[in-house]
Amino acid sequence: MTDAAMSRQASAKSGGRMKTHGKLIDLCIDVFLFGFSLLMILPLVFLVSNAFKTPQEMLSWPPRIIPSDPTLENFRSVLADTPLPRWIFNSIAFASLSMVAIVATSAIAGYVLAKFRFRSLNIIFILILATAIVPFEVYMIPLYFQAQMLGILNSIWGLLLGYLVMSFGIFLIRQNVMHSIPDELLEAARIDGAGELWIFWRIVLPLLRGALGALAVLAFFQAWTSFAWPMIVTTTRESYTIEVGLALFQTGFTVDLGRLSAASAAVLVPSITLFVILRRNFVQGVASTGLKE
Amino acid sequence: MASVDIQDVRKSYGQLETIKGVSVDVPDGAFVVLVGPSGCGKSTLLRMIAGLEDISGGTISIGGRVINDVEPKHRDIAMVFQNYALYPHMTIAENMGFSLRLARRPKDEVDKRVREVAAILGLADYLDRYPRQLSGGQRQRVAMGRAIVRSPQVFLFDEPLSNLDAKLRVQMRAELKDIHARLKTTTIYVTHDQIEAMTMADRIVVMRDGIVEQVGAPLDLYDRPNNTFVASFIGSPAMNLLDGALCEDMRSVSVGNGMRLPFAGSVPASGRVTYGIRPEHLHLVQGTDGFEAVATSVEPTGSETFIQARIGEQAIAAQIRDRVAVRTGDVIHLRAMADKAHLFDAETGRRLG
Repeated sequence: MTDAAMSRQASAKSGGRMKTHGKLIDLCIDVFLFGFSLLMILPLVFLVSNAFKTPQEMLSWPPRIIPSDPTLENFRSVLADTPLPRWIFNSIAFASLSMVAIVATSAIAGYVLAKFRFRSLNIIFILILATAIVPFEVYMIPLYFQAQMLGILNSIWGLLLGYLVMSFGIFLIRQNVMHSIPDELLEAARIDGAGELWIFWRIVLPLLRGALGALAVLAFFQAWTSFAWPMIVTTTRESYTIEVGLALFQTGFTVDLGRLSAASAAVLVPSITLFVILRRNFVQGVASTGLKE
Repeated sequence: MASVDIQDVRKSYGQLETIKGVSVDVPDGAFVVLVGPSGCGKSTLLRMIAGLEDISGGTISIGGRVINDVEPKHRDIAMVFQNYALYPHMTIAENMGFSLRLARRPKDEVDKRVREVAAILGLADYLDRYPRQLSGGQRQRVAMGRAIVRSPQVFLFDEPLSNLDAKLRVQMRAELKDIHARLKTTTIYVTHDQIEAMTMADRIVVMRDGIVEQVGAPLDLYDRPNNTFVASFIGSPAMNLLDGALCEDMRSVSVGNGMRLPFAGSVPASGRVTYGIRPEHLHLVQGTDGFEAVATSVEPTGSETFIQARIGEQAIAAQIRDRVAVRTGDVIHLRAMADKAHLFDAETGRRLG
């Protein structure tokens, strides 16, 4: 065998070893991630499982994933005793309207702040950023009094009052416009005869589709999972959102686990459906923002 | 088509004046190139003509109409940008027909016009594609197509070939010339590449630091540059500029080490001057004819040979249209063509003769 052939064989062997080594590492990572995702999903699995258990089985040890005596009693009781569909509707309406409002305000403000050069705009942008560092709890009470004065307590509009604008959304869109829409594109449109509204509607918005989709998902889930504001602005059972409604199952001394699980499992349906539809935007949103509330 | 008249135009950003009173007359149907180094104000001037920058002073007229305060869309101009500025979410046909659709022209007319222009530019097969599916050269053609479709009075080009590779640039240069010859639309073209300027322009405007250094036909600028800046900017390789003193015979310049470089004609000056000679106007001679120089590098390109050399402390370049047996470090003899030499004032850089 020639030297060259031997060296080829040796390098093929070492290449093969490296390939096996790489595969082993990949397998370890896969096993770890699989175990980790099982751990993450386990509470959800138990939640759904508990919804079908009797009170006795729920307290039995060790807990079982598949109920031995499955029952729909919890669902029947929840639907009969509470206005659960109404709460789900309130939550969907609140989250959807908040999403639309946040996407609209963020798109307009983000575009203007990114592409129009006025000195005052910088000050406005700094003010908007500053609001991001003020915790909601600080202005929650004054906002409540505003809602009261406007006479919109116990309504979707009352819920929306604190969820119309998201300073982070404005920031996100501003950065996106700056990085993904060159000035020349807008200038070309102006020379071609387009007006400012037309440019925004036909050029800027289509190019921001990805970012706006991500923001829409973030905004929807922000409203969907909000608790404190709906808790103080709604006081009648009919006006509750799902988050507030679910808290009713928890009293000072007991937790009605069966019915809570059934209600939660029912609530999961719209959330999971939306997540599946908008999965790509959601991942993009989390990736581009690096955070999720 | 229309002429463009730029009169004493100025542009200031606060205290900083970037365009300092520029006047240029662009005749109807002409191809005028604004050329100059980065930051000279050529793109700003073009953007002022387009209406994308406010005019701080002076007037710009298109077809005899002052357009200082006219919106870009009402100036009847079309602009091609360096980065093409194609709408990424629209097909090529939609990109090209954009302005006509905005003008609410009938759909049939828009389609017909787009197809006509696409045929001229060889884009007929790509009308349903998106910009990202085209090569750089094709995108550039689409950008031109979008401008041509409108049949504007004036075309404005802002370094349109800068993003293309060298081979494609040469091809697109020829295509642009061809299109201009066909359409005869008044064109103002900005570039920092003097080769582009030389090969395409009817008239070149050389700019530096917000002022016009010289305006003229390409070969006029090449043959009679007004100053050392134009002399060194126009032409590649650049003109040799050597510091020297006018000799008493008033027919030659002493450039150190007793070397005398000849020039023809008379000049109303004396003392220190700058002697200019283009590399191709230097000939390699045998024996002790001409002046002596030491070769510092020799670059054969096949058809010609570039020799970098030193005369005393000064560098000089020669472009010899032949293959020569010179090596680095050799002492060579060069002869300057006296009738091709230029003399400039050593202090102001202005042309003397």
